[in-house]
This record gives sequence, structure tokens and C-alpha cells, in this order.
Amino acid sequence: MAIDKNSAVENARNDLAKRLNVNAADVKEKSVEDDDFPDMALGAPEDGEMSGQMITSGWRIKLEAQGKTYEYRADKNQVRAYSFKGKNYRI
Amino acid sequence: MNRNNFFIHLALALVLVLVAAFAGQLSRWRKQWRSHVGPIQATEKKRATTTEEIALSESHFGRPEVLVKFKSGVSQQTIERLTALRHDRVEDRIENVEGLEAIDDLDNADAATVVSEYQQLAEVEYAEPNFEIELDAAEAAGPLEPILPHDPQFTDQWALANSGQRGGKQGADISATLAWATTTGSDKVVVAVLDSGVDYTHEDLIQNMWMRPASMAPYHDNELGTIDDENGFNAIDSAGDPMDENGHGTHCAGIIGAEGENNVGIAGVNWKVKIMPLKFMNAGGFGTTKDAIEAINYVIDRKKAGVNVRIISASWGSTQRSRALEDAIRKAYENDILFVAAAGNASVNNDRNPHFPSSYNVPNVVSVAALDRHDELAKFSNWGAKSVAIAAPGVDILSTWLGDAYEEKSGTSMATPVVSGVAALILAEHPRMSVDDLKKKLLASTDPIVALKGKTVTGGRVNAAKALD
Repeated sequence: MAIDKNSAVENARNDLAKRLNVNAADVKEKSVEDDDFPDMALGAPEDGEMSGQMITSGWRIKLEAQGKTYEYRADKNQVRAYSFKGKNYRI
Repeated sequence: MNRNNFFIHLALALVLVLVAAFAGQLSRWRKQWRSHVGPIQATEKKRATTTEEIALSESHFGRPEVLVKFKSGVSQQTIERLTALRHDRVEDRIENVEGLEAIDDLDNADAATVVSEYQQLAEVEYAEPNFEIELDAAEAAGPLEPILPHDPQFTDQWALANSGQRGGKQGADISATLAWATTTGSDKVVVAVLDSGVDYTHEDLIQNMWMRPASMAPYHDNELGTIDDENGFNAIDSAGDPMDENGHGTHCAGIIGAEGENNVGIAGVNWKVKIMPLKFMNAGGFGTTKDAIEAINYVIDRKKAGVNVRIISASWGSTQRSRALEDAIRKAYENDILFVAAAGNASVNNDRNPHFPSSYNVPNVVSVAALDRHDELAKFSNWGAKSVAIAAPGVDILSTWLGDAYEEKSGTSMATPVVSGVAALILAEHPRMSVDDLKKKLLASTDPIVALKGKTVTGGRVNAAKALD
């Protein structure tokens, strides 16, 4: 099922809350922008993952928690945590 | 003068008149005979040429001159007497070949006639026209005429024919329309699209899809078992159905081989070809290294089984190196299969930040960068003076999409199948060409682009017409 912008942001907030072990209400939405990503893994491939090298439109989601900013990337197919503690995660 | 002397003189005079009249008739007969002998037809070839590019135009004798080789021992005096008798003259003596004379006919008779006369002389070893040498027929005919297909959306395919549409640079294309004057592809050439699968029911692809021949046994893998690969291979599910759920693979397939001149949609670089669909990326457009290796293994197996699959088109990658994937690609090389791979879209120098599989140092790998419609390196494209071989159009590329649709997409993903398609055209013309020669031919067939100087190995955009020279 295709993901829309609102559900992508909601998925990202819940994922970050879980990773940081905080309440979802403590994760604030800083910005959500339309953007083009370099590939079909949204420039955030997991280890061992190959992706189509096609420019892919999606959303760059920035969240704030515990005084720090975290980035998520999403499109209609997926939501990914970008460089969370140095690693990418598809959620 | 007595009566007898008078008759003697009268008889002599009559003889002289008859001789003169007969000589005049002989001359007229000679001229008539010469005029009735037609020129040599354009079927012969010159015995020796300096290059393959030079051939003869035997029907075109611009000068009435012949080369005559007199037999050994025939004196120069005799040669001059024989030529003078025919109202010819020795124009030049070829000093290094005894008895060889260049002879000019002063009556301007055609060369074939003069040759025939000399060939009949006992003193002559051989005679031949002094052929004019000119470029071969194709060159002499002038530049190739472009072939324009009637596919309704062809005018939007700037990569194949850039007329300056939508503000582009006229001629910033791969010269496909000129290439098509030589070949539009062959259904004997199979190109594996290693991707998210292909919508093999698409109206513009269905005629060009590979299907396992009924005479060929289904694919068997010791671990995966027997798979009915009638339409290709799905490495994700270890199954036979490679139906695309994303669209990326269908797009790449259309660039290589959307059916041309069918009055539907677009034209591929090849109007005729066979696309072997392989699925290792899912609906999201990503997949695992292991599944990519499984699919390459499948291609090699089918090649060994007799399928003429010569190219793997790989519009994907990552920055993570895999020795196992490299080994699989090397195995493809050992089986005479070219591996065309996307350079990547991170706007970085692959010489310093390699992208795989395009950066593997394996002889069959061709790494492809993307150009826009202005002949500029696409702003997203990776480059590499040592590691990126060639460039091709890869911005706003119109091609097939899921559900009989067509969409414009951008990426080195789109540039890669352009190069794969040109490789397939080459193989249509040269079916036995080795993978090494195929790669050499591709890399030698570029138009130099200022924006690519120092950015790729060739510094050029692939040119399909040059590739078929």
C-alpha cells in the first residue's frame, strides 16, 4: 500500500521514539520537505542493499528529540532512518 | 609508253586505289567495333588494395588508359611500333616491372576496348584498365540517411534524436536515426535486464520479450530446485515470474528495446531484440547482493544452455563492495557476457569514492555516466577519469512503465540501458564479436564532449552510428 506524507511522518516519529526510548509525544516535527533522492533506497541503503540508480522523489523529514535533530527519508514505498548513529535503517 | 606498260600502270593504280579504300574501311570498321563494345561491368575488384576502405569503381574509367605487360624479350622498338599501329602512345614505362607500360589511346576509345585489343596480341602477357580508385560504395554514396520511426512519442525521445526540443541542444543524442540506416537490431541478440523485473505484457515490449524455447529444459539449481523460467527469472522468490512491481526495470527494458515502427508509444535503441527479464529488486526498487548474484548465475546457466545472451544491463548499485558479486561478474566475463553498470547518482568522483558494481576492475564492466539534453554531465551523475568508461543520455528519458504507460525518468539507471542497447546493435551486426572487442568498440565509438574531458575514460557520449561503422 502506498505511503502518503502524513503517514510517513507518523511512522518516522514512532520509529525514532522507539530507538531513543522516549514517548512519541517527545519527538517534534522540525520540517518536512519534498525532495529528490539519488536512488531508490533514497540515498540511505542498508548494509548489503543494492538499489536502482534512478532519481526518486520523496520527503525529507527532520525530527527533534532530546535536543538533537534526526533525519528520515520517505517515498510512497518506504520510510528510512538516515545515518542514525552512523547507520541507515529501512523501517 | 607501249600498250603493255599502259595496262601495267593502270593495274597498279587500281590496286593502290583499292588498298586505300580498304584501309579507310578498316579504320571505320575499327572505330565502329570500338564504339559497340560496352564498358566493363561493376563486378570486378581490384587485385590489390591498400586498405579495406578502398575499393574500385570499375564502371568508371575516367581516363582511356591501360596498363599492358609485354612478354619478356619484346623490344621497346616493337612495343612502340605496336602502339603506333593502334594510334596509341606509351605514356609511361613502369621501370620496376619489366615490360609494363602505361598506354594512352589517342582516339579516346574506352579502356575495355583497348584492353581487348592488346590482350589479343601474341607479344602481350596481360592488359588491364588503369582503374580509378575511390572510396567504397557506402562512402561514395555519401552520409547515411536518417531513419525516423513512426512511433507516436518518438519526438519526445531526445536521447535518440535531439532536435532541440524543450530547449535542448540539437544533435546532443546518440545518433540512433543514423545507426538505424545500418541496423535496427536483431531478435537473435538477448539482453538480460537485471533489475526489478519487467512488465513483459507491456504493449510496446511484448513482441521483444525473451521466452525460454520449448526445446530448452527449465532452469535447474541444486539449491533452488527446478524453476519454470518460461518468462525469465525471479531471484527474490526463486521463481519463474519476473513481473515488475516497481517500474524501474520496465523503464530500462524500453530504452533498450521498445518495439520500433509499431505505431505505439516509443522506439527502443533496438527496434528488434530479445529482453530477458530478471527480478532481484522488489516493489521499492531495492534488493540484496545475494539475489543479484543468483540472477547473474541464472544468466550464465542460460548462456551455457544455448541462449545467445551477451549483455547484462545493471542499472543499480551501492557503495558497498562485495567480493562475491565481483566474482559472479567475472564469471559472466569468462562466458563472453558484457556487464553494463550505472556509475551512480551521488555527484561524486568514483575514482575516489567507488560505486559497485560499476567500479569493479573486471574486463567486461562498462561504467556509465549520465548526460542531460545540453550535453552536460547530469548534476547528479558520478564521474571518474579512470573508473567511469562512457556517458549516455540519462535525464528526462521517456520509456515504458507499468500498465502500458510511459514515463520520463532520470538517473545513471537510464543512461546504462542506452549503452546496453548500443552494444546490442553492434552484436546484431557482428554476432560473433567477443566481449573484449565489444567493449573496445563501444569505447571507441564516442563523440567527444567538452563537459566530459577529464571526467570519464573516453571523455565522450556513446554514438550508435559510429559503433556500427
